[in-house]
Amino acid sequence: MKLKSTVALTASVILAAGTLASCSSAEDPTPTETSGTGSTTETAAFPTQWEDEITIDVFDGLANYMGMQSGWFAKVVKDKFNMNLNIIAPNVAGGGDTLYNTRVAAGDLGDLIVTDKGERMEELIQGGLLLDMSEYYPAMENVAVFDQAVEKLNDGTGGIYATPTSVSSILPTEPSEGLDPTFGPFIRWDLYKELGYPEISTLEDLLPILKDMQDLEPKAENGQNVYALSLFKDWDGNMMVTGKQPTCFYGFDEIGFVLAKADGSEYQSILDSDSEYIRTMRFYYEANQLGLVDPESTTQNYDTLWSKFQNGQVLFSWWPWLGQSAYNTADHMAEGKGFEIAPLEDMQVFSYGAEAYGGKQVIAIGSQAEDPERIAAFVDWLYSAEGTYMNNSQTMGAAGPEGLTWEVGASGEPELTEFGQAVFLDGDATVPEEWGGGGYIDGTSTLNVSAVLPNDTDTTTGYPFSYKFWPSYQALVETPLSEDWSAEMGGAATTMDYLRDNDKLLVAPGASFVVPTDTSEIETLRNQIKAIVVQYSWQMVFAKDDAQFESLLSELQSTADGLGYQQVLEVDMANAQAQNDARVAIAAEFSE
Amino acid sequence: MSSPTVVTEAVTTTIDHAADTKGRKRADKPRRKTSFKLFLLISPFLVLSFLFAYYPLYGWVYSLYDYKPALGLSGSEFVGLQWFRLLVSSPTQVDQILQVLTNTLAISFLGLATSILPLLFAVLLNEVKITRFRNAVQTLTTLPNFISWVLVYMIAFSLFSSTGLVNDILLDSGIITTPVKFLDTDQHVWLSMTLWSIWKGLGWGAIIYLAAISGIDPSLYESAKMDGAGRFQTMRYVTIPQLMPTYLVLLLLSVANLLNNGMEQYYVFQNAFNKEHIQVLDLYVYNIGMTGNSLSMATAIGMLKSLISVALLFSVNAFAKRVRGQSLV
Repeated sequence: MKLKSTVALTASVILAAGTLASCSSAEDPTPTETSGTGSTTETAAFPTQWEDEITIDVFDGLANYMGMQSGWFAKVVKDKFNMNLNIIAPNVAGGGDTLYNTRVAAGDLGDLIVTDKGERMEELIQGGLLLDMSEYYPAMENVAVFDQAVEKLNDGTGGIYATPTSVSSILPTEPSEGLDPTFGPFIRWDLYKELGYPEISTLEDLLPILKDMQDLEPKAENGQNVYALSLFKDWDGNMMVTGKQPTCFYGFDEIGFVLAKADGSEYQSILDSDSEYIRTMRFYYEANQLGLVDPESTTQNYDTLWSKFQNGQVLFSWWPWLGQSAYNTADHMAEGKGFEIAPLEDMQVFSYGAEAYGGKQVIAIGSQAEDPERIAAFVDWLYSAEGTYMNNSQTMGAAGPEGLTWEVGASGEPELTEFGQAVFLDGDATVPEEWGGGGYIDGTSTLNVSAVLPNDTDTTTGYPFSYKFWPSYQALVETPLSEDWSAEMGGAATTMDYLRDNDKLLVAPGASFVVPTDTSEIETLRNQIKAIVVQYSWQMVFAKDDAQFESLLSELQSTADGLGYQQVLEVDMANAQAQNDARVAIAAEFSE
Repeated sequence: MSSPTVVTEAVTTTIDHAADTKGRKRADKPRRKTSFKLFLLISPFLVLSFLFAYYPLYGWVYSLYDYKPALGLSGSEFVGLQWFRLLVSSPTQVDQILQVLTNTLAISFLGLATSILPLLFAVLLNEVKITRFRNAVQTLTTLPNFISWVLVYMIAFSLFSSTGLVNDILLDSGIITTPVKFLDTDQHVWLSMTLWSIWKGLGWGAIIYLAAISGIDPSLYESAKMDGAGRFQTMRYVTIPQLMPTYLVLLLLSVANLLNNGMEQYYVFQNAFNKEHIQVLDLYVYNIGMTGNSLSMATAIGMLKSLISVALLFSVNAFAKRVRGQSLV
């Protein structure tokens, strides 16, 4: 009896409290802020001197480093803008969207923000977390070059809230990637050569070859075991990330739970038993049966995997920017060792066309930023030639500061200085004191965002921003490895040349397509299903036998269906279709 | 068992007595003043319990919205019972929740079943006569309680991962040829999780019993010895019965915490292979809300916990009423 009355009393108290509280909680982030400057005159140009030193918080969805920017890039920014960059990286913090959610709920995401366009950008604008840059836009002359893309991005927002990234003047039907595609089956060429370049007609043919390669080199130089394949889980999203990559060798890319072919000729549900994704699962499963999969795959992260590649403990890479970047050092290449693309006869490597109106990410200024004018000036600088050389990520071929790593030679061609050669060919070098000191690589920009595509052309030199395209550089990097590969591949100079000449490249026109926002219900279902797909994928790869593999697969299919997979798939199929329509339209628009 | 009962009874009689006098002297003003003063004395505690126990319940409101942090609650769409409907929308959804509840209860009951271990440990430790050794053992077993689960996982990882110490030894000595997967397996997840929490909590749990043992009347031991009882017999017939009241109170308290088996431990140990059996309610809510970014849905599932807790409370209360003839609350 006593308990019942207590419960009743508590209930009434709760109700009363709830009512009261709901009245008082009308806190909204007030988008109607008036920027302190109050200048009514149009700012014609940014000042060149900045009085007080400030430190800005940069919420950067792409950054893989958290903390203060240091080294030569920090010095450049400090000298130019009297500003320090404090990088906040959700990728490093981990825990999915936790960091984003807590910061956003507090009403201040950061002073400078790098985030996704579409849903993210819309909700940030709606929530009043982004600053309207219209006041500063007239002064942003470097961004203005890409005015069309800016307009398109801010269409319907009633202001200028963000600037696009990865902009360029390259046609959308041309690859955005430069000399190497984003994806590709890269193998240790030296071992492949030792086997006598066996033919590889399709993905599964790689298994016996990888097995032989692993037998040829069972131990790496550091005495550790060598595995043909090593997986990692950090980037798992809609599906197991390493499971998706081989589908890209056949022209597919994910959009939700759909694998869409670049030319719009095919759409697959990833969970269909005969989908390319399940094919990859089988591929890994069989590889594991052959002892080709690193047992540490389930626990290691990307950093560990990277150092394994550096040490030569892995023989297969899905990306040039993993295998080649980590292992193809000057020393290795001089010995003829290194990763090169494997000639899969039936492959059609997916390539992202240059985004006509900018890439997936955008750069924006936070509504609570203390000195928005200075941040706008910094953003503008990122789009300048100087900014492009310095800010772009070094693995993308950013040449660095003119005068330090490169200079325009006597012939008028850009070429690497001795210092530049030490950095880009041997891995690193110590920066002279006048440039800030420290290691060069440690001092590179941690923003990890390309405002302008590195393979766009610098109008002053007439060559692309990326040093990898410079004839002077290409002459430098001819090594026994590249010569051998080139000879075997019919004289192709670069991976891209080889793919293009042999009709093994499928470019998806860069339509700057934004996936429409899911309804809340679809989004919740999607997140639940994602978790199940990833969980079962890993179990399938490490299944004991065929029977277990098949039973896991059917369990996955029925669990996903039970959670509403078909409902989500319908949305994804429609999105994939819309994406293709946009690609067709942009290709037509620019072919005129 | 006796002392708490006595206290409760004493308190009840005083309250009854007070109620009587209050009824008789209703018009007495100074008396009212004192009771108001007394009320003021307890009011800080009322405020505290309101703030920290009842006010957070306001958060339940989020389950009725499609909450987006960037827009705030006022800017988010009101969706009514959408999330609750989604939870029961398909048999698979229900299965998921049932699986999570099974995990929660199974791990909790294993915890309850092993809660006798600290008591036994304390009794045995008490019999060690070399003080230095006893202190050393006690310190060493208490220490793990102060290590965070993250570090415990680091230890587990360096010992039991496929390249960990244990596998290295087994491989080198030729006992096995392929590494044993201790961590990324779906075998015996509940058991291994219970073992880890025993390892971490054993020494700490024993402290209260060691204190209780020092409070046992020495004359009981003396008379037992006079009657010819040996060491194990004094343990069995004196120490353990004397500790039982303490044990039962602690047991009762942990029943109330049945659903609260925390999430840190399971969060650090979870991976694709053991997820099905390691996801307890708190972890499931976290995975859906924070990792899966569906805060409203997570709130709805979290409310489930409160409902079950209330149900448990009623049943324990009814049970206590039947056994002791008196309700707990």
